[in-house]
Amino acid sequence: MTGAVTPTVVGVGTVPNGTHSVPERDLALTVLRDALDEAPIELGAVDGLYMPAPRPWTQQGFFSTYLLRVLGLDVSQSLEISTGGTSGGHAFHTAVSDIREGRVETALVLAVERNSTIDTTGPYFEYILKSFDAEFESPIGMTVPAAYAQSMQRYVHEHGLDRDDLAEIVVKNRKNGAENPEGLFDDAPARDEVLDARPVADPIRLFDCPAPCDGAAAILLTGTEEPSPSGITVTGTGFHHEPTHFLMGPDADPTELPAVGQAVDSALDRADNAIDDIDVFEPYAPFPHIEAMITEELGLAERGQGVDACLAGRTAPDGEIPISPSGGCLGRGHPPMVTPLLNYIEAVRQLRKTAATQISDAERVLTTAEHGHLNGVTAAVFAGGCD
Amino acid sequence: MEPYTQPFWEELEDGTVLIHACESCERRFFPPSPVCPHCQATDVEWVETTGCGKLFSFTRTHATAAAFADELVVGTVELDDGPKLLAPIDEPYSALEIGAPVRIEPTEYTADHDRGWLEDYPFFTARKLEETDA
Repeated sequence: MTGAVTPTVVGVGTVPNGTHSVPERDLALTVLRDALDEAPIELGAVDGLYMPAPRPWTQQGFFSTYLLRVLGLDVSQSLEISTGGTSGGHAFHTAVSDIREGRVETALVLAVERNSTIDTTGPYFEYILKSFDAEFESPIGMTVPAAYAQSMQRYVHEHGLDRDDLAEIVVKNRKNGAENPEGLFDDAPARDEVLDARPVADPIRLFDCPAPCDGAAAILLTGTEEPSPSGITVTGTGFHHEPTHFLMGPDADPTELPAVGQAVDSALDRADNAIDDIDVFEPYAPFPHIEAMITEELGLAERGQGVDACLAGRTAPDGEIPISPSGGCLGRGHPPMVTPLLNYIEAVRQLRKTAATQISDAERVLTTAEHGHLNGVTAAVFAGGCD
Repeated sequence: MEPYTQPFWEELEDGTVLIHACESCERRFFPPSPVCPHCQATDVEWVETTGCGKLFSFTRTHATAAAFADELVVGTVELDDGPKLLAPIDEPYSALEIGAPVRIEPTEYTADHDRGWLEDYPFFTARKLEETDA
């Protein structure tokens, strides 16, 4: 660490991923109350609020301002940001930075999202369509799975892989997610069920996709000048954006994820760690081949051998490089504005030794978030929890 | 001011696919823009291509926005001149393979999607070429 103050997690709160019939406000207040219950601070101490902008179909607009009024909070910094799947990552990183720099003393990072209020077969697709090049790509009728399907197709082709083996990554994450009491699913499909599920965008099938759902999460951070070994600290953050937009851009190669490598390198440098120091990985990997490619990008497997890492059991909870013990996007359900915070909270719980699927002796956890086709990536390293 | 990309759509009506070349780094790129994304130079120019290239990857959707048929065959075409672009593919999914020679051609736009100022212009599609045509 180069800063005098180390950001420390003092409280977290979540609701289970699923369907929630109450307004986003109530989900936000629930997770905030639960985070405060864990923290040795009063609500009035919060002087920074950081959150992803809720989705455009959320009934309450101007959400952070509304929330500050409801809470009666007078803050020095507030941020409501919209950058797709990295929104929660950017909100968290800004809170970490403001604490490091002394701009705030107690930061509340909060995310809330309800997808149960929108028809995912119509208006949701209209919203997604605008993410692509409005002139040259949206008129095609592009979807997010249609972009990832093409990277899967190309990845399998370039490395001569058996596409069916990617189902094992889904099975592994769904098994992990079924153990997570806050996950969307109670069961895990077998390999054949994954491969026989209905097609979404060939060769991607239903269980290869992250299931949209409702969710909410809150994290309270304070600054600590001399963190205790048992405290949970954010030791490194990093970000990178490639000159790409989904699958396109100068020299874009959708079978590699350089933004992941560079964001993680920055986070590890800041934390003064190497990749071998990481005990648990909680990446934002929305499709199975993306988890395989992240494994390769981090240097945990050779190019084209990320799937083999799963097949050999290396990425299982009892393997040498546990990936997504929470279930991740595929096994836990996926409210994209909330998912980055769910990854951070899983990191906190691993370090507290209270995770549903606990990795033994976890001392350092690496998390990521991404947007587009991993065009932009945030990475954060958590440490602590030692007796 | 007229839209920067208008020459692309004007020429497409006649079957010509235009891209951009950078006079500074000599790379070619798409979509057309007054700034080269390879070197950030602004001395760029329009150049014609044959529209021919190879299929870099492809998919078939089974659900998308209401303005479109649920089943769409879509792919990434790597033009012989270098740049890649996404394109609808006017072929059955089962007939495709990575590396297949294709050509970008104009086609009437029939989806009920608002293209704004491009409403009266054709769109483009990729069609397979026989190996002898490639």
